Amino acid sequence: MGEIVSIRTRGDAQTAEAGRRLAALLMPDDVLSLSGDLGAGKTCLVQGIAGGLGVKGHVASPTFNILLVHHGRLTLNHMDLYRLDRADQLEDIDFFATLESGGVTAIEWGDKFPGAMPDDRLEVAIRLGGRETDRVLDLDGTGPRSASLARAWASACSDLSGGEGA
Amino acid sequence: MTLVLALDTATEECAVGLGEWDGAAMTVFGETNLDVPRAALTHLVPAIDRLLKDCGARIDRVGAVVCGRGPGSFTGVRIGVATAKGIASGLAVPLYGVGTLDAIARRFADHDTLVGVVGDAMRKEVYPALFRCRGGRLERLGGYEVIPPEVAAARWARDAGTGPILLAGNGLAKYADVFTAALGDRARLTPRADWTPTGTSLLLQAYAGASALSGAGPEAGDGDPATLLPIYTRLSDAEEAERSKCGASGSGDPAAAGTDVPSSGVTGPGSGRP
Repeated sequence: MGEIVSIRTRGDAQTAEAGRRLAALLMPDDVLSLSGDLGAGKTCLVQGIAGGLGVKGHVASPTFNILLVHHGRLTLNHMDLYRLDRADQLEDIDFFATLESGGVTAIEWGDKFPGAMPDDRLEVAIRLGGRETDRVLDLDGTGPRSASLARAWASACSDLSGGEGA
Repeated sequence: MTLVLALDTATEECAVGLGEWDGAAMTVFGETNLDVPRAALTHLVPAIDRLLKDCGARIDRVGAVVCGRGPGSFTGVRIGVATAKGIASGLAVPLYGVGTLDAIARRFADHDTLVGVVGDAMRKEVYPALFRCRGGRLERLGGYEVIPPEVAAARWARDAGTGPILLAGNGLAKYADVFTAALGDRARLTPRADWTPTGTSLLLQAYAGASALSGAGPEAGDGDPATLLPIYTRLSDAEEAERSKCGASGSGDPAAAGTDVPSSGVTGPGSGRP
């Protein structure tokens, strides 16, 4: 496990901006596991990532569809495991092949089936910050690739909530 | 004379073939092999349609369907098997299964050599299967399983004689170095274009050595589209429990347990249960 680094954002626009900056750093087969309460901003973050990858069109929450695939600079596989009950249902959505299909995969409620997650993944836990719209993104890279991605992303976002009134 | 339609979508290749079985030999009329990773669902049926047209044939003349049962991509296998079941049931014709790894090895059957097929099982594992080819005949040396590539490579290096081994299969995209390291100068890496089944290899494998339309081995099934199942090899605990509860017993042939895969698709411990 790598050290945990954090990104602080003020409002949805900044959370999405953090996603856009992450998009520039992503490589094929990167996996993001997103956790946080309903309304924490998981989908907002993924919308920013999609924008940064050049995805055209609306990026909706995949809670109903479970997996939505978007095409940009890299293919973005956007999953929401909330409605799955058992780990073996992951096979029904082609979970493991999707992770290794050469795109980028963002998994909401990825902490639901920890045993199924790949060894090297960037865990992003979104929690509330000081003010109602403030968010703290705790980044934990669980392998070499994701640890370096976490550091690069945090560094790329160091200006986001640094200045008052940003 | 039986017009035979064959298909496999267990790998990134959407393979479709059309041929005619005269009771002794297979004449291949045509094939379509599309490299469409994770997109078989949208390509399979149009590809069948086009191939039939190109061959001047009609779907209602098809007298038997052959489908690759895996092991391979879970979703890919399901798409292929479900489509084949639909076509065979709709036409009221028999459906026979072919092992996807066997259909890959079939491409090298004219060589006099061992062939090691390495299917990608994801999650750092592979579906390895070793075949002996001689004079157009193909024999699989063992059953289907899912294991780490290092284990498969070490086993082949230790147990598979001393001659060269032709290596094929989409697992080599990730693990070719594991196998070439273990096998040394015995390893013969085939071109990447030969790592998937083709329409032709499916047709030939389905009817190779068969005396009638009953297929080529226990994995062929009995022709009933309702009972032919995918070969998964990696069953989840829940599926294992369910199959055990339902009393899935495979082909009922005790000789098939362990080394061969009955048409119910269960292999390993599940296949021996009452």
